[in-house]
Amino acid sequence: MKKHLKLTDISKDGDEQLDEINIDELVPLPPPYDKGEELPGIKQLTDDQRERLVCNLDGVVSYAALPKPANKEEEEKYVGQFIAGLKKLLSKENNWTFLQPLLLSIDYCARCQTCNDACPVYLASGEKDFYRPTYRSEIFRRIINKYIKPAGKLRAKLGGGDIELNWATISRLYELSYRCNLCRRCAQSCPMGVDNALITRELRKLFSQEFGWAPKELHEKGTVLQLEVGSPTGLRPNVAIDNLKFLDEEFTESTGIRVETPWDKEGADVLLIHSAGDIISFPESVIAFTILCNAAGVNWTLSSEVGGYDGVNYGLFYDDVQLAKVAVRHVQIARKLRVKKIVMGECGHEHKALITVADRLLTGDLIIPRESVMTFLEDIVFSGKIKFDPTKNNFPVTLHDPCNVVRNLGIVEPQRRILRYLCPQFREMTPHGVDNYCCGGGGGLSVMSDVNFTDWKVNVSGRMKFKQILEAFADRLGPEVGKYVCAPCLNCKLQLRDLFKYYGAREKSGIIYGGLAELIVNAMVEIKKPFINWEEEQ
Amino acid sequence: MSLFLVVLTYFAYVFIIAMYVVKAIKIARLPLHLRWELYPVIYEPKSKYGSGFQEDEKGWRKSQGKKLRKGILYLLKENLRFNDYFKSNRGYWLVLFPWHIGFILIVAFHILCFFGALVIIAGNPVTANSVYVIGKIFYYCILITGVFSFIAGAFGSIGLILKRQSDKNLKAFATPQNYFNYIFTLIVFLSGLYAWIFADPTFAQYRDFWRGLLTLSPVSVEPATAVHIILFSLFLVYLPFTRSMHYITKFFAFFWVRWDDRPNFRGSKVERNITGLLNKPVTWSAPHIKSGRTWAEITAEEKYHEKTS
Repeated sequence: MKKHLKLTDISKDGDEQLDEINIDELVPLPPPYDKGEELPGIKQLTDDQRERLVCNLDGVVSYAALPKPANKEEEEKYVGQFIAGLKKLLSKENNWTFLQPLLLSIDYCARCQTCNDACPVYLASGEKDFYRPTYRSEIFRRIINKYIKPAGKLRAKLGGGDIELNWATISRLYELSYRCNLCRRCAQSCPMGVDNALITRELRKLFSQEFGWAPKELHEKGTVLQLEVGSPTGLRPNVAIDNLKFLDEEFTESTGIRVETPWDKEGADVLLIHSAGDIISFPESVIAFTILCNAAGVNWTLSSEVGGYDGVNYGLFYDDVQLAKVAVRHVQIARKLRVKKIVMGECGHEHKALITVADRLLTGDLIIPRESVMTFLEDIVFSGKIKFDPTKNNFPVTLHDPCNVVRNLGIVEPQRRILRYLCPQFREMTPHGVDNYCCGGGGGLSVMSDVNFTDWKVNVSGRMKFKQILEAFADRLGPEVGKYVCAPCLNCKLQLRDLFKYYGAREKSGIIYGGLAELIVNAMVEIKKPFINWEEEQ
Repeated sequence: MSLFLVVLTYFAYVFIIAMYVVKAIKIARLPLHLRWELYPVIYEPKSKYGSGFQEDEKGWRKSQGKKLRKGILYLLKENLRFNDYFKSNRGYWLVLFPWHIGFILIVAFHILCFFGALVIIAGNPVTANSVYVIGKIFYYCILITGVFSFIAGAFGSIGLILKRQSDKNLKAFATPQNYFNYIFTLIVFLSGLYAWIFADPTFAQYRDFWRGLLTLSPVSVEPATAVHIILFSLFLVYLPFTRSMHYITKFFAFFWVRWDDRPNFRGSKVERNITGLLNKPVTWSAPHIKSGRTWAEITAEEKYHEKTS
């Protein structure tokens, strides 16, 4: 039976799990994916894990290193840190970056719950109370009102809904802040302009910037590694160059068409910044860009500077300081190469971080034009310099819109113009464009895989996306027809990889996924062999 | 009593205006923030399908400017019709809409009373059989807005209490202040309705009260009308302590956050602002921040100046 949580439950029974995810309550998927009992579900934690780890929210752990307080004094220290962090979040010096949007979202929510129905996590979970966009926000709001505002404690007592700030509240809020994709569908649906995703991100910031708590995949092995080595993947510059050389040679040998990826070309028109994850996990995407840029005669280059060959910026998900460091690093590289503009690779959050959010972190000669890969590819496709044969893409194709490209950046049509031109069987998902559902890996979740977190991603956060993919192909859902989900974003592809593997989408329905550039190259007349490899795609 | 009503009314209006202005200035003076727009940005030319100016390859540095008129009209229409609620939360809209219409009309009622009083002071009677058209217009407009506001507002107040109580999703998030607000507004609207039915069926007293207010010659009114005047004044004083300002802050939230897609380019005001903000000190405590430096110093930090292998 569904449990109804009160807001005040967050601070009670510190070590107890607040609620559990019941597979039977999740939003149903169409056949043949409707038999939840045939899937492994979410791995239950062992007794040992329950003893060692903080697992007092939903039985899922996103950060095994979350440090439990050893005693009451340590718990009080955490409470003090949390309040200190709140004060910094509300200060012009420490949080000028988001203070105005934060206050407008904190002070003027009408508590109408309209946003809940927009949240794919809440919907997919069978409407679990703690996954409401408003649940963590309202608790955060009440904590601010009680612990920061004048006479807050008295008003909290009189006003009801008094939230106690203790270890249970702090640790559950930490975990809750990573049960959100930051997709901002909730913000889009709010008639007041309140942004619950922003509040979630501010919570993550508080934990990261004050406590030093953040998922290792985002921080320690994310932005820190990127700034030190060049990429969260650990890929170093010389290895990145070697990988691309190998790809160039392999393609040249297999097709007879000579391609060469240019590196560190000063004065180029375009600095293209891929995600290094693409170089490692989806090399066909990277080589597709080389083919297209060379065929269209673009004066372009990649950079082998540290950070210059990886456009990801996980700071966008959890930490303003790390966001700023990585973004500035990217434009410093472009300035050094004296390129005319930076073009984002197929990576949604790279777009959002560098084109818009970091726009107001740059001054002087760091203000260098930045362009989306969607418009860049659109120009190439419609330049007339490359011949295409759309019949080569005559299979069902649908488009997954990365939230950071559509709803968060306003780039909706260029990618569709390409697909309508090159893919005769292109069909939209419902909803799509700025109303799309997140893949379930947004907000940095796609790269997080601690303990049993991946189970949660494939069962809950990615469920609405998987459902709408199946619905988009409902007319030919059998495995005999190959179908392609175009997902022009590294993080979305990583999430789709986990989703499709878990549900067996390729075997059961013949569905594969990939980027946009691969589809374009696949339709090139000059490329005789199919570029998309249906057998090895997964 | 008459003098008390005049003083209280003036105080209430001055208080609410001052409080709203102070709050608005506080929000307006907050520092420029990082871009965090959300599409569709309603005044972008291609907003119909959600697209922004970034779709234009060469347009990234063009300042599209604020399409102020289009944005304001959109929000005003939204404030009057509550379209978003109608589309996404119909059950809530059924009670929220009349409640807010009650507010809008009661504000309109008082604005009309103010101008109606000016019309009276100018020598044109405001009555149903006034020889002047303007007098007739004001008479009927005041009557209609007043009566409809009291009815709609009372209906909405009761409806919201019931809705918040019966809907478990809303109930879980409701605070005692929510219910206090609904009950208070219910009393204000009902007092107006009572005064209209039993004391002042044409609002003649109310118009006369406003004439006295503007000419500083207080007039006496029936107790029922006086009670409504007192309650409405108290309501105005109370409003700044509620979230009522969301009528105004909504404009800020949309124009300054959700639709703020102004690009930064060299020599712009935005760039000058950012330069100042980057010189602010950072005192976050996490080890990786290495606080004590400014934002500019932290972001300029380069761990590697040369290629590493």
